Amino acid sequence: MAHPDIGEGIDRVDARVKVSGRAAYPTDHDCPGLAHAVLVQSTVGAGRITAVDSSAAKAAPGVLAVITHENAPELHEARDRKATLPPPPLQSDRIVHHGQTVAVVVAETFEQATEGALLVRTEYAPATPVVDIDDPQAEHVHDPFGSDDGTGDVAAALAAAPVRIEQTYRTAVNTNHPMGPFATVASWDGDELTVHDCTQGPSRTRADLAATLKAPQDTIRVLAPYLGGGFGSGLRTWPHTVLAAVAARHVGRPVKLVLTRKQMFTSVGHRPDTVQRIGLGATRDGRITAIDHEARQTLSMCDVNTEMVSRVSLSGYASPHLSARDVQVRVNVPSPGSMRAPGDGQGNFALECALDELAHDLGMDPLELRLRNYAGEHPVTGQQWSSNDLRECYRVGAEKFGWSRRVPEPRSMRRGRTLVGYGMAGTSFFFYQPPCSARITIGRDGHAVVGSAGMDLGTGTYTVMAQLAAELLALPLRRVRMVMGDSSLPQAPSAGGSGLTGSMGSAIHAASRNLIRSFLDLVRDDSGSPLHGAGEGDVRVQDGRIVRKDGGGGESYEAVLTRHRREELTAEGSAEAPAEDRPVVPTGPYAAKFAEVHVDPDLGVIRVARLVTAAHCGRILNEKTARSQLIGGTVGGIGMALLEETVTEPRTGRIANGTLGDYLVAVNADIPDLDVHFVGGPDPTNPNGTKGCGELGIPGTPAAIANAVFHATGTRVRRLPLTIEDLL
Amino acid sequence: MDGSAPQARVSPGPQARPVVRVPVVLRVNGTEHRIEVDTRTTLLDALRDSLKLTGTKKGCDQGQCGACTVHVDGKRVLSCLTLAASADGRAVRTIEGLEQNGTPHPLQESFVKHDGLQCGYCTSGQIMSAVALIEEGRAGSDDDIREFMSGNLCRCGAYPNIVAAIREVAGRGDDA
Repeated sequence: MAHPDIGEGIDRVDARVKVSGRAAYPTDHDCPGLAHAVLVQSTVGAGRITAVDSSAAKAAPGVLAVITHENAPELHEARDRKATLPPPPLQSDRIVHHGQTVAVVVAETFEQATEGALLVRTEYAPATPVVDIDDPQAEHVHDPFGSDDGTGDVAAALAAAPVRIEQTYRTAVNTNHPMGPFATVASWDGDELTVHDCTQGPSRTRADLAATLKAPQDTIRVLAPYLGGGFGSGLRTWPHTVLAAVAARHVGRPVKLVLTRKQMFTSVGHRPDTVQRIGLGATRDGRITAIDHEARQTLSMCDVNTEMVSRVSLSGYASPHLSARDVQVRVNVPSPGSMRAPGDGQGNFALECALDELAHDLGMDPLELRLRNYAGEHPVTGQQWSSNDLRECYRVGAEKFGWSRRVPEPRSMRRGRTLVGYGMAGTSFFFYQPPCSARITIGRDGHAVVGSAGMDLGTGTYTVMAQLAAELLALPLRRVRMVMGDSSLPQAPSAGGSGLTGSMGSAIHAASRNLIRSFLDLVRDDSGSPLHGAGEGDVRVQDGRIVRKDGGGGESYEAVLTRHRREELTAEGSAEAPAEDRPVVPTGPYAAKFAEVHVDPDLGVIRVARLVTAAHCGRILNEKTARSQLIGGTVGGIGMALLEETVTEPRTGRIANGTLGDYLVAVNADIPDLDVHFVGGPDPTNPNGTKGCGELGIPGTPAAIANAVFHATGTRVRRLPLTIEDLL
Repeated sequence: MDGSAPQARVSPGPQARPVVRVPVVLRVNGTEHRIEVDTRTTLLDALRDSLKLTGTKKGCDQGQCGACTVHVDGKRVLSCLTLAASADGRAVRTIEGLEQNGTPHPLQESFVKHDGLQCGYCTSGQIMSAVALIEEGRAGSDDDIREFMSGNLCRCGAYPNIVAAIREVAGRGDDA
């Protein structure tokens, strides 16, 4: 297994192009004749447009077109694709949220388009928006994902439990805010459309655009070789992407459309707020007998969004009685979408805080409570885990953190006047590995080019896939080049659900096997080759060569190609999603989080002093980039815990804090040293032994911090973000 | 709309203003560029759209994220809050100007080594701020680095690695 290019210390292969400013993001794309588009968005939260006056805008210097619902082309609502495709824009006069796009202005320059957008006058017949998750008028959608599940009789078990926790937890709306504002550059050549887009899935965006525009998929090409972050925002094909294509066709020129930061609050999704009721029943010696988890979350008016919040309670702990239910509440807010650890992020907060409350009531160490209720098999189905080293996460995390120094009594630890709190949480993250394809070409120069439509949004996919291909073909890393982020390459899933490493890695594994088989086919009857007649099982790869396992020699890829007068050899490979209904269920990654917080006893200021993560992510292909994923997720988790809240004005539906100066994300000074340890072994589900690690930093972090704040102060805060006001 | 209940209303609205263009001389990374810009054009948009120097990034266009940080006459400025016309005649340094004779700046090397980036979008601004931070003598401790780098947001969460990268170049590599 050992390969010099696998493991720790490998620099990101795209780091040099990024530190030099040469990486071309979608917004950097330029082309001759480029026009600029700017969106106009609704200033009411519900109602109808009664009139649009675009005459002043059209008369403004440089303005080429103003497109509204009155002159927009018909766009097609693809019902079967709705999960990734919100309703198409500009199709009616109906307003369902503040900040809904009502017009797009196209002009020669960005400045002229911006001024033109300011000149579009829109009249509304406004209605009173419903924006509150608790509003009794709001429509409820029960079991929206068909995922409600459970076992046993939760109500009876709760009633009979000697110890019970029944509490309600709340999490706020958070907005993804990748640093790169989402942008699309669309250009038509006849009926062929090329789109440089901020997407996490070029294959998916192509399919969505094809459905919306009713065009064959092979006439559309979507490119996203680099992306200025996404955190889930790029998992849906948003109206602005469609409108860039519409605008480009309308003016007959390439069009660049870049969202403003304010529009990033209303146009590319958000993490919906939740209200979660948790009921825990337990024996006095800390055996959990029942977990009842009902999660309500908001949803926009005319859309779907998959966000399974309560499911964390179905697989987290051994309990004979379980129930997990989700409800969506329709309100007049922008379309939600995935935001790093969708569902699990919010659900884990409620479950892990409830466990902390149970531990406190029992007078038991929170870590001991979790160990006592470790799920040795799936609590609902009884399936065996493909791998689960959560207990090792607890052990290593506790040791590195120094958990044994914790004095159990709240408000008992101080540093000078500052209150010190220790808190912890566990995380069992979901498994996701959708189908993927990849292609590998080896040329006569002994270099490999590996292609797949999947993209790298900053996670390190370019790097770890190049490493993997290097290992599977026994080539030095410098002789492998990745080509990604292009829908014309073999189909790939979106970079989401922490699934792309597993998906694309499996496809590259298959492609490399097929490629080696192609080389063996080429020399099957070649008596000049030491490999002739060898089957796949007779050989292995070593030092850039295919060699016989029986010691009968071998030869390099380039030697075979040269002798057979071939410039290159190419093979594709595909991997399906692993079945989840077998006796062994594929498992996602696990983690234990340990946080130390410092709280000013007078001012209520909360600082995270340190945070230790021990994670089971299967085989680690690159410790440097994997560690960065965990650190980065943890930074997002700290923001979710203490800072981030998108505030909607109740009367208007307007986002009240729609700037990065008002919507607080963690800055450098908010973040202490973050300690990450990888534990556990490879997962047998995946041919490369990997598990995803892109989202694991989020779940567990807010709960560990909230539990530490309780330990520091004795105040239990059941709402995110935790703020100074909660402690005064 | 703010603070009042929504009401249907008609307003005549403003009319378009004429475009005013002015000639400016931008001295960027040692090269003089004579261009004509819309008076509304920011230094950021002039660099990106007129000079095709797209290494400097637009993150918020409101001076709140630091992604557009460049140096003007040796001081770091937010190019999204700087009008191109006001940079007339001044010396501008961008991420493209950090390499010397094909050799990357030590901070570019240390950002690679410490993985001080993920998506890379904020990276130009982080590095331009970090260069100034060290030149200004404000990288004396990790807490100083964290404080003085807090105007540069990184949503991927590379902060600890950014601190490590700056610490090393600031000459305190011993405790890296």
